[in-house]
Amino acid sequence: MSLIEVENLTVTFRANGRVVRAVEGVSLSVTAKESYGLVGESGSGKSTILRAICGLAPVSGGAIRIGGKTIPTPRGRAFARQVQMVFQDPYASLHPRHTIDRTLSEPLAIHGIGDSDARVMGALDDVGLPRNFRFRYPHQLSGGQRQRVAIARALMLEPGILLLDEPTSALDASVQAEVLNLLNRLRDERGLTFLMVSHDLAVIDHMCDRVLVMQNGRAVEELSREDLSGARMKTAYARSLFDASADRMLGDLEGTPA
Amino acid sequence: MTLLSVQNLRVTFETENGPVEAVRGVSFSLGRERLGIVGESGSGKTMTGRALLRLIRPPGRIEADAMIFDGQDLMQASERQMRGLRGRRIAMVMQDPKFSLNPVMTVGAQLTEGLRQRDRLGWDDARKRALAALEAVQIRDADRVMAAYPHELSGGMGQRVMIAMMLIPEPDLLIADEPTSALDVTVQAEVLSILDGLVRDRGMGLIFISHDLRLVARFCDRVLVMYKGRVVEELAAADLMAARHPYTRGLLNCLPRIGGARGPLPGLDRSGDWAE
Amino acid sequence: MAGLRVWLMDPNPTSRRQARLGQFWLGWLRLRRNPLAVSGLVIVGLLLVVAAFAPVIAPHDPLAQDLSRRLLPPGTPGNLLGTDDFGRDILSRIITGSRITLYIVGLVAVTAPFLGLLIGTVSGYFGGWTDAVLMRITDIFLAFPRLILALALVAVLGPGIENAVLAIALTAWPPYARVARAETLTVRNSDYIAAVRLQGAGVPRIILGHVVPTCLPSVIIRVTLDMAGVILIAAGLGFLGLGVQPPLPEWGLMISSGRKYLFEQWWVSTMPGLAIFIVSLGFNLLGDGLRDVLDPKSAPK
Repeated sequence: MSLIEVENLTVTFRANGRVVRAVEGVSLSVTAKESYGLVGESGSGKSTILRAICGLAPVSGGAIRIGGKTIPTPRGRAFARQVQMVFQDPYASLHPRHTIDRTLSEPLAIHGIGDSDARVMGALDDVGLPRNFRFRYPHQLSGGQRQRVAIARALMLEPGILLLDEPTSALDASVQAEVLNLLNRLRDERGLTFLMVSHDLAVIDHMCDRVLVMQNGRAVEELSREDLSGARMKTAYARSLFDASADRMLGDLEGTPA
Repeated sequence: MTLLSVQNLRVTFETENGPVEAVRGVSFSLGRERLGIVGESGSGKTMTGRALLRLIRPPGRIEADAMIFDGQDLMQASERQMRGLRGRRIAMVMQDPKFSLNPVMTVGAQLTEGLRQRDRLGWDDARKRALAALEAVQIRDADRVMAAYPHELSGGMGQRVMIAMMLIPEPDLLIADEPTSALDVTVQAEVLSILDGLVRDRGMGLIFISHDLRLVARFCDRVLVMYKGRVVEELAAADLMAARHPYTRGLLNCLPRIGGARGPLPGLDRSGDWAE
Repeated sequence: MAGLRVWLMDPNPTSRRQARLGQFWLGWLRLRRNPLAVSGLVIVGLLLVVAAFAPVIAPHDPLAQDLSRRLLPPGTPGNLLGTDDFGRDILSRIITGSRITLYIVGLVAVTAPFLGLLIGTVSGYFGGWTDAVLMRITDIFLAFPRLILALALVAVLGPGIENAVLAIALTAWPPYARVARAETLTVRNSDYIAAVRLQGAGVPRIILGHVVPTCLPSVIIRVTLDMAGVILIAAGLGFLGLGVQPPLPEWGLMISSGRKYLFEQWWVSTMPGLAIFIVSLGFNLLGDGLRDVLDPKSAPK
């Protein structure tokens, strides 16, 4: 049975009197412990789907079900313990005036969970940050360290589902590798389900079992990991994304005699 | 023929905790070719690009044994001479067009402003030159773009306008600092091929600064790999896969590959002497 | 002492209390580096000390009249700053008056920013109708000249020190509401607010715990800068006879009573005027200094 079901989702924004359809009739389903990718260029609506699931974007049509139940609006606390999100920009997703300790203990305070000292320390250990980072401010950390804090925050409530909105696109390549490894390790350890957005096909391929290609708010094509690596896409758009992927450039280079 | 040669360039910032060296003794020379400078954030690649135009504000300080552009030592040039060089002979394209274009002026006004003030062209001539420049970066409806404000353009269009603007004075050297990182992959490819064509047709020199090793390898003739303000390896782009330096190898290996193994990605080992 | 400093400066504090105290210590170090801010702090500190010990410091009874010693110039033995038209010692009156000034400033500083922050953040966070209604009310308050509005309020409520404070507070909050709203608008769509919403936080927690801390520094700075204006408005109300009632030694009232003698006995008005000037300057300098201290980004990395 699928854990996340999105059926015919439509999201429309009203901006300056104009109606903008960010997502139009997108359906997808993710089974438990699966890692599902959304890929597309800017404006394809891939991030909007994550935000709609979280209640951060207005749903104007369709249904979103978690574990077979339609999720309530507003999302509420029970939802918060099921689903959490990691945002794209680690420089914007941590409160600049809160210490790491405050950021990590806030979800515990909201949900009345005790023992916050030990839990915060444990969370820092889990994401591979030294414990003495606890009372630092975000501006004292590097981008990769901030993203680790954001991941730790998302896991404080021990949710089963993690929505990842381009979690590594603001990071350097070597840091990206570390964060991706961390995410994969946590997924194995905790049996997490990932719904991940990225513009980088190579990252999606590394992380996800299935991927949905999106363009202009619509779903274009769903590919399995094998289809993707075997370049067996049916639509021209998915193929053009594949061809333009930076990863392919390196492939060409390997082909040319040095 | 050497267009630019840099000897032992250093950029130092005075901070409360003593001087911090952002660039530590970088030397290279450039002909009419495409040189890529790659590195992670904090490697000093952007500072190197800005130092070439002496665009570093106090408390930053630029030092170099020599920085010779077309026979003229940039280190000895007066601020007035530098102003004459910037834009006219050495141009720079920044990462995000949103921050480089004036939001309250139409694209046309911004394109023609320099022409009319610097080159004292009339309205009509300036407009013709601007239209030609937009066509050179493959903007088809140049008239509409001229009348548009920057926020009405997409990212790729904005970056093309920036490139057009930089190319109007026909510079000899273009410094492009992450010109495509804010763009989608398919647009990225188009902008790169435009830059490529311009370099080839006009015989410009190009310094292409990027964090993306794959992109630089694909697009440039020669690559400088920077780490912590130093050049750790210089090699022909075609030889990139045969790179020897552990840092370059590490950068290449830590990228996920389509169809690659699913195991943990190798991290970057920074324990060698070079990481000092 | 040295041990305490090491404990405060520890880059890796072990408890929340140590971390918080360490932050205060860093803030103090940053404030100390700015000589102007320190002089502002000294002036404000002096005001506090003088007000606290006014009866001890004052050489004479501020209300004791002696018509045989009226309008004596500054420097007269026994009356360092001279005497006023009833023969009261001006220095003693200024010292005692500092209590009234501090009382007014303190009350306004507590009430007006609180009201302004609340209205501004609520308005900015909710947007829509709430925003439109609250901001139009703010506009109405802003449209009146402050002194005139305060005058009207005092005229309705009746003269007296409490009513003066109330009138000043009611006229002082709109700028804070504006500042708080502007800051709220920039942060309300930020990812970190989205993240805490996603954790199931309620609106009061988001506004008080996450929005207010981002607005607080700019409001605090505005408050210290406005304190000078508050003192002046209080003085203005006193001058017009609508604030503190005679014979209480309020600085504005003292200026007002001296205006008949401005040309011959200038000191009667000038001395309390100087007091207002110095204290206003003190608050202004302190406000400027706080701007640096309250920004955690200026902390050493």
